[in-house]
Amino acid sequence: MKKSKILLIIPAYNEEANILKTCKRIIEYNKEHKTTYDFIVINDGSTDNTSQILEENKLPHINLIHNLGIGGAVQTGYKYALKYDYDFAIQFDGDGQHDVNYVEKLIKPIINGEADFTIGSRFIENISGFKTSFMRRVGIKIITFFIKIACGFKLKDTTSGFRAASKNIIKEFANYYPSEYPEPISTVLVVKKGYRVKEIGVNMYERDGGSSSIHSWKNFYYMINVCLSILIAGSRRSK
Amino acid sequence: MITGNLRLVVIIFILFLFLLIVYLLRKRKLSTKYAIVWFLAIIVMLLTVLLPDVMKYIANLIGFELLSNMLLCIFIAILLFITLALTIMVSSNKRKITLLIEEISILKKELEDKK
Repeated sequence: MKKSKILLIIPAYNEEANILKTCKRIIEYNKEHKTTYDFIVINDGSTDNTSQILEENKLPHINLIHNLGIGGAVQTGYKYALKYDYDFAIQFDGDGQHDVNYVEKLIKPIINGEADFTIGSRFIENISGFKTSFMRRVGIKIITFFIKIACGFKLKDTTSGFRAASKNIIKEFANYYPSEYPEPISTVLVVKKGYRVKEIGVNMYERDGGSSSIHSWKNFYYMINVCLSILIAGSRRSK
Repeated sequence: MITGNLRLVVIIFILFLFLLIVYLLRKRKLSTKYAIVWFLAIIVMLLTVLLPDVMKYIANLIGFELLSNMLLCIFIAILLFITLALTIMVSSNKRKITLLIEEISILKKELEDKK
């Protein structure tokens, strides 16, 4: 059997502090485990030294000619995966949150034909012992509830960006990937299209550098928007 | 009611708006598709100035006590539709620009890889 081609899509926006470390971990993992994970960094119009770091270290990357946001960056990765005929694509954050050791666990259900799309979850099996604030947990619970209404799938880690896609999903996402609130919305769309989605327990590190920007009134606005978008995505007629 | 000088001012304004839209169309700064709604607005304005009695009759028929109230409502509705059309265009343009940026960035990478 032909060895399957695996691509890690790493969206990066102003990640000069973490991007080199993230890529090095993958390269080391490949050496230790004799795996052949390819990766591509999608530099989403960073204004810091991310681009120079990628260039100097000869890391495979695409420089977006203008900032697109996470949705556009990830879609570029899926387009690249489709173009170069990859069998699996894994979304992997450039900020050092995700653990390359769990890529294998994530794609296993797809290889075994049990799922088309898997989502790495902090809230299953509680591997990472991730601690989140009360408000954040409430927010995630609400989004979980709305996704359940929209497509009937119970997704616990709604904002996880650590996800693995089969070839069919690569095709779907290369063709259309939501630009606003891409993680929950893309999950709803995939479920609505009849693909099998599975949530897998993984380890996630605390964010190394950078801060996740949270203001309470902004969060309220965010919640309303996300829930509305989920319902609209859910109301689309399924194929 | 619209009388005398005001009537003249409104007619001049309508004429100016009409010529402006025709000018923009000829210069290809406005696409025909979106000019229609503006011509519709012009027709409503023109009807009001030229046939005030008819418009007043229609206003009373619908239930407006004053003709001016009906006109305000009509124009707010037209403006709402124009704004909606604009937001639709902006959204679709945003989508297209995103796709262009994605494709060009991939092509650029491939071109640089070949060098």
